[in-house]
Amino acid sequence: MTLNRRKLLQSMTALAAAGALPLPAFAQDRAIRHFWWGNPERDRRTFEVIEGFKAANAGINVTGETIGWGDYWTKMATQTAGGNMADVIQMAHTYIHEYAGRGALRGLNDYVGKGLDLSHYDAGANDVGTIDGQLYGINIGSTSQAIPYNIAAFEKAGISFDPLTWTTDDFAAICQKITDATGGAMTGSEDLSLYIETFEVWCRAAGHDMYNTDGTLAMTAEDVASYWAFWGGLRDAGIVEGKDATVILDKGMADLGIVKGTAAMTFRYANQVGAVQSLMTDPVGAAMVPQRPGMGFGHYVLPSMFLCLTRDSADVEAALAYINNWITNPEAIKILGIDRGIPPSQIGRDTLEPTLSPVEKNVVAYFGGIQDKIGPVPNATPKGAGEVRDAFMRIGTDVVLGYTPADEAAGMFIQDAQDILARAAG
Amino acid sequence: MRRFFRRNAAGYLFLSPWLVGFFLLALGPILASLYLSFTHYDMVSTPRWVGVDNYVYMFDRDRRFWRALSVTFHYVAIAVPLRLAMALAVAMLLDKGLRSIGVYRAIFYLPSLLGASIAIAILWREMFGLNGMVNEALAMIGITGIGWITTPSTSLYTIVILAMWQFGSPMLIFLAGLRGIPRDLYEAAEIDGTPKWRQFFRITLPMLAPVLFFNLVLQTIEAFKTFTSAFVISNGSGAPADSLLFYTVYLFNEAFKFFRMGYASALAWVLLIIIGAFTAVAFATSKYWVHYENERD
Amino acid sequence: MKTNVIDPTSWDDDARIARGIKLRQQATARRARLLKHVFLIAFSGIMLYPLLWLVASSLKPEDQIFGSLSLWPSEWRWDNYTQGWNALPLSFTVFYKNSAIVTVLSVIGNLLSCSFAAYAFARLQFTGKTLFFGLMMMTMMIPYHVVLIPQYVLFLNLGWVDTYLPLIVPRFLAADGFFVFLMVQFFRQIPRELDEAAMIDGCSPFKIYWAVILPLSLPAMATAAIFSLIWVWEDFLAPLIYLNDINSYTVPLALRLFVDQEGQSAFGQMFAMSVLSLVPVLLFFVAFQKLIIRGIATSGMK
Repeated sequence: MTLNRRKLLQSMTALAAAGALPLPAFAQDRAIRHFWWGNPERDRRTFEVIEGFKAANAGINVTGETIGWGDYWTKMATQTAGGNMADVIQMAHTYIHEYAGRGALRGLNDYVGKGLDLSHYDAGANDVGTIDGQLYGINIGSTSQAIPYNIAAFEKAGISFDPLTWTTDDFAAICQKITDATGGAMTGSEDLSLYIETFEVWCRAAGHDMYNTDGTLAMTAEDVASYWAFWGGLRDAGIVEGKDATVILDKGMADLGIVKGTAAMTFRYANQVGAVQSLMTDPVGAAMVPQRPGMGFGHYVLPSMFLCLTRDSADVEAALAYINNWITNPEAIKILGIDRGIPPSQIGRDTLEPTLSPVEKNVVAYFGGIQDKIGPVPNATPKGAGEVRDAFMRIGTDVVLGYTPADEAAGMFIQDAQDILARAAG
Repeated sequence: MRRFFRRNAAGYLFLSPWLVGFFLLALGPILASLYLSFTHYDMVSTPRWVGVDNYVYMFDRDRRFWRALSVTFHYVAIAVPLRLAMALAVAMLLDKGLRSIGVYRAIFYLPSLLGASIAIAILWREMFGLNGMVNEALAMIGITGIGWITTPSTSLYTIVILAMWQFGSPMLIFLAGLRGIPRDLYEAAEIDGTPKWRQFFRITLPMLAPVLFFNLVLQTIEAFKTFTSAFVISNGSGAPADSLLFYTVYLFNEAFKFFRMGYASALAWVLLIIIGAFTAVAFATSKYWVHYENERD
Repeated sequence: MKTNVIDPTSWDDDARIARGIKLRQQATARRARLLKHVFLIAFSGIMLYPLLWLVASSLKPEDQIFGSLSLWPSEWRWDNYTQGWNALPLSFTVFYKNSAIVTVLSVIGNLLSCSFAAYAFARLQFTGKTLFFGLMMMTMMIPYHVVLIPQYVLFLNLGWVDTYLPLIVPRFLAADGFFVFLMVQFFRQIPRELDEAAMIDGCSPFKIYWAVILPLSLPAMATAAIFSLIWVWEDFLAPLIYLNDINSYTVPLALRLFVDQEGQSAFGQMFAMSVLSLVPVLLFFVAFQKLIIRGIATSGMK
């Protein structure tokens, strides 16, 4: 510890210098920021698109900001509160209503056709991002619900099935076969009791969404009870993963039974199947969420991610140019690949076709296969929907652990959900 | 006035960095959070004054608030004494002259370096899982284990074990404290034939009291604010069945997941009062058991 | 116990028995020491297992990290380290440099400003001392997440967001009460006669702080230096909130870029870089912990 005053002075000078270090370059006069959640692969692709845009638009500097999914929302909320959002942000369908509804995003209707070219988009591709008639989020990759399954395990158990038309009865029979074939070492599936995403499909198969157009609950206690009872039956039969694997909520890829080899199926969105594959040696396929016998299909197509223009954007023109480059420039589309989902336009899909890997080809084929089996996009989710999802998992846990019977818990959940919506609206 | 200045000059001068930092950087945000606790604030719109509504709702209607309090109190009551005992025992073991002691010190500090990262969360779930290391060890002595993290009645203890396993920082402080005890006190005691265990109570503990006091207060504060370990191990949810719903995990979710920063601020101020009360009691009783070398008050 | 019976008639026996007792004492001491080592080694095993797991995982191919429980990689993937270093848009060299700047300055700031404040609290008399001490304790009790946003707004208005200033300046202003309180506790243990003697010799309070208190507090200062370095090095939340440009990211922030819970991740590379990120702090720990021990020898303590 030989500190003296001169060293102190030096460090203060260094401090001042350090403060100036990460200042943005002053070479360009216009600057915009793009913030997304990512991973090394996505970050590499995105920065490449940014570089391409900068090369073509010498007057505009773009700063790329990236972090992982969980941390993204903490930082996003802080920046929003501080009035310092990036000009262009990536959005998820679970959050877009929360941000748009509170005025953090800019409506894009006025720019469509004037700086923003959406003419090549599939019909309805931007429905989920449109709230009360105003477009807030541009679809940058479509996806749909999927059941990733371990192809090798299916073959070993001698199973052949149609992944697009199978029913919950088929699903149960297959779980039984896989469990038998492996002597119980691998169960048929992860227990999806606590996935509200598959419950939503279950609900829609019965003919209604989870929420009404006015934001009230459309799901009923019967929907919930029958769903939990269905999985309870499989669990009691020992042909899906046990309660210890089930009660871990919001599993990351590393927690999935299909990755660990303890289950042959799980739930993910179609665009995530490739990520599951990257952690496994066995090949992975994608099937639809099985249909309830005699009922309709519950699937729908949704954007896995949106691009949004924010309230805090100072240079709207530059931000729009950036977004437009992203969705229309074939070079950008090629660089981005299907990492963020399947391009929501025929031009985009055609551009990518020759560049796809085998897993990606499967995903695109799956996506093509389900096109005639999907329903309309669900009604907009009200404020508080995220908390309802949490309540679904929490009360469902009591069912899985055997603390509360399914029908009683379902009643409790509906009551809780109503309270949550009332509090969120107030 | 001049006398006041002369008497206080040195003190304020030395305290000036802290005074500047506190009044310019810390106090404002703290007061802002107090203000926000009386508002409805979703972090996008302007805060809306709601009086004491947040506090009323908390005590009157919010079952999960009570749940979070109960989980946190349980944890503090169990983890703080165990962690301190562990740290003190190991520090004493390492204080006495063994060769290669530096190696052990580094090894024992290692877990604390790892913190509560994603890697540790994955590892912990694997170790305490149904087919994990812990159950394999138990199977060898004929005990069939359970999923320790996924069973609500045992999950809290896996977090306690994590806290005990990362005893590095209190250990190091104890070690620095032990090193400050003059050796001649022990030598004198040896000559008098005082047994080791009595030396511990007569010399070690009293001489270590200021450091023990520090560790007790700080570990209690930290335990009340435990966040990262419970957050990463439960994937941010406090599951299963809210058994890992630590107070700050609940607070964080209310703020950043459900956009209720006003309510979260109210939660924070209630926690502040609870911790403050505990700390005040610790300070008030300290004059009976913490004595500083040659210090008159 | 028969051999222990002392025969008072034989001097020779007496000497032999005395030697026997001494040998036995030595044997007991050796056994105790051995036992202690056995215990320490077994205990080290428990403490080390997670690190071994981390290192093993960092050497496994991506698709085998979670499938198998075995610590032994079936094939050794050293390229997790080489590729991981360059896997992100910028190489880790940049992140290490950034972390080093923030950490070194923060540690210096913490040691200086906190020891100033601690000296004032432990030794000097001034109006409002108890109040200020209480306020300092309070800053440690409030959950950080609720002051995050007001603080962000404050730093935003100062124009400090996306610079290192929000990470460094508070450390020069004794913002971390932990270190102030820690140093207070150690300073109060130093015999008062020493400063009183110095004062009689005409030393200013600064001279006393510099020449008496600091040298006698080497173990405490070393402890504070170690904690400060480790905590700043591993600090994640403040860099997350205040740094936007990836060019200014620190190592912990960079590590978070590897894993996407929802999608494609690079766990092997993340584990590899996590292992590497421990190296600087571990080296610092090994170097500085000696000071905790040596402290007493040099200060002598009367």
